[in-house]
Amino acid sequence: MTAAAGTPEAHPVTGLDDVVHQRVRLGILTITHEARRVEFGYLRTQLALTAGNLSQHLGVLETAGLVEVEKGYAGKRGRTWITLTAAGDTALAEEIGRLKQLIARVETTDRTSATEER
Amino acid sequence: MTTDSVHAGGDPRRLLSEVHALAHRVRLDQRVTFFALLVLALVTFLAIPVDWLSLRADCGSPSSWVEVGENSRACHIHRQGAMFYWPPALLLAYGAIGWYAVRTARARGLGTRVLPYALTGVGLTVLFTAVWLWARWYLSAHPVPTEPFPEWVMVLDRLVAPAGTIGVALLVLARLERNVALLVFTLGYLALVLLPLNDLVHLHWGYGDIYGAFLPQQIFQGLVLLLGGIGFAIARRRQR
Repeated sequence: MTAAAGTPEAHPVTGLDDVVHQRVRLGILTITHEARRVEFGYLRTQLALTAGNLSQHLGVLETAGLVEVEKGYAGKRGRTWITLTAAGDTALAEEIGRLKQLIARVETTDRTSATEER
Repeated sequence: MTTDSVHAGGDPRRLLSEVHALAHRVRLDQRVTFFALLVLALVTFLAIPVDWLSLRADCGSPSSWVEVGENSRACHIHRQGAMFYWPPALLLAYGAIGWYAVRTARARGLGTRVLPYALTGVGLTVLFTAVWLWARWYLSAHPVPTEPFPEWVMVLDRLVAPAGTIGVALLVLARLERNVALLVFTLGYLALVLLPLNDLVHLHWGYGDIYGAFLPQQIFQGLVLLLGGIGFAIARRRQR
């Protein structure tokens, strides 16, 4: 994990969390947040991953306490359900906030460079 | 999506846009808009024969007529059937919508977000039943008002009537589903419900035109819900 930015002047990149700032894991958190509870198969289809790859990413998120994985049965078929923890909810909100800050900063820099070139 | 980690050099715009696209996809898969509208249309249409068969107008004796405003008279109308029909019908409808939403979402591997809508619907059903019972008690204990009610009272009356509560609950569904199309549809539906349609379209049906005072509004409301349900079902098929 990267240390959170403590001052308003700090660049948004310094506050990024390596666990969350990864495309697949961010996708897992986003889907789980919207769905409230999501089945392993739905995540695999939407993210176009193999079962092994998805399991690896879920393991990272579970170890970080961002998701809870629950195994059960629907009839005779085994099902794995994933839910977002409160920490996962916060981490997702912070990541999206950082991304927006980054975009805003990049746009400001671009505008300043364009003005200076003129 | 790939397994590549995105660092400072990555494109935050693309990442954010992917996040929004995924969230939108999940919301689409969770939506039950068309089913809710079709069930509510069915309930609205079934209310028409119930009203038709149970409506009683006591206009036969001079004592049943009361003066309403200047040079205008009205006689007693009893809508007992509606009173017994709407509360259980709407409770069943919200139960069915909730059941369908949970079943569909589970089959797709998702949780559901429709529960607050069903609970709002149930709460509003209890509210309008309570208002009806209170109005019934009030009118039986007090003389019949001889002056027409102010317009805001009539608007409020239409809002807490079954059709109005259906619209208010649909606003909650539009919020839960983040469904702008449903929000626009519901605002149109509520405008139709709150509009005094009987003043504009009064068909000469039934004894003393009494059926004509209720039916056009119910038919329009049912039709709007039905067409909305069909429209959202077609849109859903195209999106999937």
